Amino acid sequence: MKALCWHARLDVRVERVPDPVLINPRDAIVRVSATAICGSDLHLYGGFVPGMLKGDILGHEFMGEVVEVGSSIKNLRPGDRVVVPFPIACGDCFFCRRELYSLCENSNPNAWMAEKVWGYSPSGVYGYSHLLGGYAGGQAEYARVPYADVGPLKVPDGLTDEQVLFLSDILPTGYMAAENCAIQPGDTVAVWGCGPVGLCAIACAQLLGAERVIAIDRFPERLRLAALKLGAEPIDYSEDSVLDALRELTGGRGPDACIDAVGMEGHAHHSIAHAYDRVKQAVMLESDRPTALREAILACRSGGTVSMPGVYGGMIDKFPVGAMMNRSLTLRTGQTHVQRYMRPLLERIEKGELDPSFVISHRMSLEDAPAAYRLFRDKQDGCVKVVLRP
Amino acid sequence: MRRKLNLTRVDRMGYVVGGIALIAWALRRPSWLRGSAAGVGGWLLYQAYTGSNPLFRPLGIRVNPRPAEPDAHETIVVEDAITISRPRAEVFAFWQGAGNLPRLLEADAELVRERPCVELAWRGVHAGKLAHFGSLEFRDAPGARGTIVAARLEYVPTGGSLGIALARMTGRAPQRLLAESLRRARALLETGETPSTRGQPAGPR
Repeated sequence: MKALCWHARLDVRVERVPDPVLINPRDAIVRVSATAICGSDLHLYGGFVPGMLKGDILGHEFMGEVVEVGSSIKNLRPGDRVVVPFPIACGDCFFCRRELYSLCENSNPNAWMAEKVWGYSPSGVYGYSHLLGGYAGGQAEYARVPYADVGPLKVPDGLTDEQVLFLSDILPTGYMAAENCAIQPGDTVAVWGCGPVGLCAIACAQLLGAERVIAIDRFPERLRLAALKLGAEPIDYSEDSVLDALRELTGGRGPDACIDAVGMEGHAHHSIAHAYDRVKQAVMLESDRPTALREAILACRSGGTVSMPGVYGGMIDKFPVGAMMNRSLTLRTGQTHVQRYMRPLLERIEKGELDPSFVISHRMSLEDAPAAYRLFRDKQDGCVKVVLRP
Repeated sequence: MRRKLNLTRVDRMGYVVGGIALIAWALRRPSWLRGSAAGVGGWLLYQAYTGSNPLFRPLGIRVNPRPAEPDAHETIVVEDAITISRPRAEVFAFWQGAGNLPRLLEADAELVRERPCVELAWRGVHAGKLAHFGSLEFRDAPGARGTIVAARLEYVPTGGSLGIALARMTGRAPQRLLAESLRRARALLETGETPSTRGQPAGPR
């Protein structure tokens, strides 16, 4: 089959590789009908995540048709159309039973590697470094899906691939980010980063009752989507001071909740802080650039919540811990427990309350994945979200 | 503070030889460099005398100078614990057959003690010689969260602390083997399979 393989920093290629086979009794094989490039794939592409090997198949947002199931799988049969959640979770362990699927204790065969970096290991993830299991990903014609009796969600034929594909990651991620804000009536939520997750977070914050949502970015097409499509109030951080603008917009108090949908490759416009973080990251004195997180903490209303769906990998510095402590802020974060949110969000999609397909800017063939990665990374041609068809 | 004995006999003999050699070398033609070498030599002798290396603790190396097994002069101690979301009887039964006991390398396990649902103890014998011995203790996790398994393994080191360091670098460290053995058991008991990517496709490596 054809699959997108990681070769080196900024070098991904479509290769011919063997078809996947069933390895465990609870596995299934899925013929991929649609797959997307995630913002977090760009961290792998840019070489910011350790534990990548040449030849690794990328991709953790995918859906398709079941073509084969292992001997223990009773809930699926060949021909079923499914969306696959990105965390690989067993459904049986302490964490899975508490619906904390991205913390599954059993799914990462390389748990010891993650323990060295993070103390304990989270769940395995498709195509996301050997630290998270080294599982082959879904930017391919076929993919092996472990614990197929727990993860894959059957989707009705009446909905298109583009309507349901994002149940695999970004829609639940935006939802959990908004849920973590514990939104009360009258609340204002500010969202750093209007990429696909930021846009989903805006839509979900509105759904969960936010009175106002403020969207922060610098790319006009992204701010336009946030403002025109979702009715958020835009702040262009390349023109305005975000802290001043938020203070003004919120009557001098700050947003009740702040969402960092940017993560480890943050960017600050023309600032000394940005140069500082770039240099430190380049010489590995710090692994992540927490520009958005720092600003979100400083901007947040006293006693408010900072929600952090943005992906971080290692260490940061200049963390405004004093603001956090003295102003009673709450920080909530985590890889998304996708399996927990898929079914209720599918219902909302069926009812027409949500349609995340508006984030798609590019539809390309799997063959063109290397070009798509470049386009998405450089945010050229108004690129917001790429869907690939094998 | 009393220092804890943590050097093996092989280590202490090596330290004496090395310490004397360094000091002798420094005395032959004194210089600043040789002087500091003599300092290191003195430090080695001091460690050999006390039987304690202060660097072992941060490195996580634990020596037991008086192990319970009379055949072993001294052992390296490795401990770990895991919580498994299954009833104690089921967890105990998994290890009872000796086939699943954590073993180091090629040693055969001989069960030496069995208290149902409480404890299993065994000796690992390789080529007729004691290679390690260990025990598993089973107790209920609080709040009906399953069973806690506490494992303790003591093994007879070959090549002193140098051998330990080498084993660590090659990833065959007993600590890792024990942890993997416990993790594998949990996966099998909770999910009926062990997570694996062996046999999955990849591009040219």
